[in-house]
Amino acid sequence: MRKNVAIIGGGQTHHAARRHDVNQVELVNEAVRAALADAQMTIDEIDSVLFGNMEFFEGCHMTDCWLVDGSGAYGKPGLKITTGGTVGATIVGAGVHHVASGLFNKALCVGFEKQEEGDTGAILSGVAHPLFGRSLAGAAVGYFAMMATSYMAAWGAKEEHSAMVAVKARQNARKNEYAHLKLDISIQDALNSRMLSYPIRMLDMCPASNGACAMILADEKTARDRCAKPVWIRAMDTAHNEQFELDWRDVTTKKPIFSRVSASRLYRKLGVDDPSKYFDVFEIYEPATWAEMVWYEDLALCRPGDGFKLVENNMTAIDGPIPVNPSGGVLSTNCIGASAMLRIWEAALQIRGDAGGHQVVSKDIRRALATAYGGTNWTVLTALSGTMDD
Amino acid sequence: MKSAKDNVELISIPMVVDVPYRFAAGKYMTRFLTELRDNGKFYGIRCPLCNRVQLPPRIVCAVCHVKNSDWIELGNEGTLVGFTIMYLPLTDPTTGKPHEPPFAYGSVRLDGSDSVIDHFLNVEPVVEHIRIGMRMKVALKEREDRVGDLGDILHFDPVT
Ligand SMILES: [Zn+2]
Repeated sequence: MRKNVAIIGGGQTHHAARRHDVNQVELVNEAVRAALADAQMTIDEIDSVLFGNMEFFEGCHMTDCWLVDGSGAYGKPGLKITTGGTVGATIVGAGVHHVASGLFNKALCVGFEKQEEGDTGAILSGVAHPLFGRSLAGAAVGYFAMMATSYMAAWGAKEEHSAMVAVKARQNARKNEYAHLKLDISIQDALNSRMLSYPIRMLDMCPASNGACAMILADEKTARDRCAKPVWIRAMDTAHNEQFELDWRDVTTKKPIFSRVSASRLYRKLGVDDPSKYFDVFEIYEPATWAEMVWYEDLALCRPGDGFKLVENNMTAIDGPIPVNPSGGVLSTNCIGASAMLRIWEAALQIRGDAGGHQVVSKDIRRALATAYGGTNWTVLTALSGTMDD
Repeated sequence: MKSAKDNVELISIPMVVDVPYRFAAGKYMTRFLTELRDNGKFYGIRCPLCNRVQLPPRIVCAVCHVKNSDWIELGNEGTLVGFTIMYLPLTDPTTGKPHEPPFAYGSVRLDGSDSVIDHFLNVEPVVEHIRIGMRMKVALKEREDRVGDLGDILHFDPVT
């Protein structure tokens, strides 16, 4: 990074399946006000606003214009960003580049989704090619289900392993006051839940949530002057896959899969040898249980084929040696345009020691890694630390 | 809508957005689809640098960023690399009608190709009848029913 950039504040809404109590402006403003309060800053001090969601999920376009009152972008420079599931992290990436360039000192990043207002299944089908695969493009669940059958066949994982991930996420979510699905469930509950798309059951999948997240990024001088606990952005990496090639679902593929490529580049930038030891906590983007186990492997937290053993041995529990998604993750809260930013914000809260009920207390949290993936197979990784020495 | 909790009226209005559009398939996709429609044949395209045979055929190899040039006729058999049994009545976005659940669909790598095709599997939708690595064969619609999209494939049949 040419210039150092820190997260100096952030906030989120209470996420839920129903938020008819607010419109989109009101929802977004909830998170923006929380972030400004957290940073002890007024909107006048913000010099750029980066804003985004998944396009058309609310049935309207140009949400940056619709929601300018709520986001605080009135009269300010900034960008609208829409990159599908990754959008929240891409907004932060753009914010980081704004500040790192030296052109801006305080960038407000805002991501939101109000899924209840639109037909996300119908909009998602527009992501698939009209002549090559759209007729089967029903929902994300089918893609993850194919990844899951491939994973089970290749490595011998069982439905029980998926259930373990499902339980871990929802039990962690119960500790998180903002999470959507705070479910006191057992492995048996997960295994008994309704089959959606074999082998994925209801409790193996993320919910459709409404919510927003906002974060304020600042240059080093502002961060040191104004913030007691800045969290430093140490490295980011992003990579696209090619169109049509959905071979990430074949877990044995030897092709350079985007998430692995991105992870190895980020580790090289930081000089990471063993990511499971280098990072103290992970907030990863797992719309389905199986995606979490594949992430373990793509991030090199274990060898290929051993991801399900990490969860089997409680390695990634909130009090385990490699805590993954103490917040409850995307499996508990998926307000698409905010989800990837929530990973970064939750990772920052862990470093600050401000995560509340879901704070990891079994070890000192100095470094964290947040991941995102989504539309057209692209991935974004963000590495954070509490001091510039780490 | 009245919220039971605080009895405050909150208006929310159902609306429909209808978006007609005309999609241009382009030169490469058009040749692929007309071969499928008129002759029942699958063609992939090979990159002159990395030699990957890609489906559907496209102008540029994303990895090498060179123009793809060699059209390769593929067989109509391949290997299953992933599958699911769908229990949700998913709407077919191209027809507006739901696919009747439960149904099996999967990803098949046609012999000679580096890409996969997703389509229905003509098997009983029970896990015991489907296995990763099983050999599959394309079944096409009759010539007069083919229109020039992937729907011209009826399904994949297991090779017995
Ligand atoms: Zn090539």
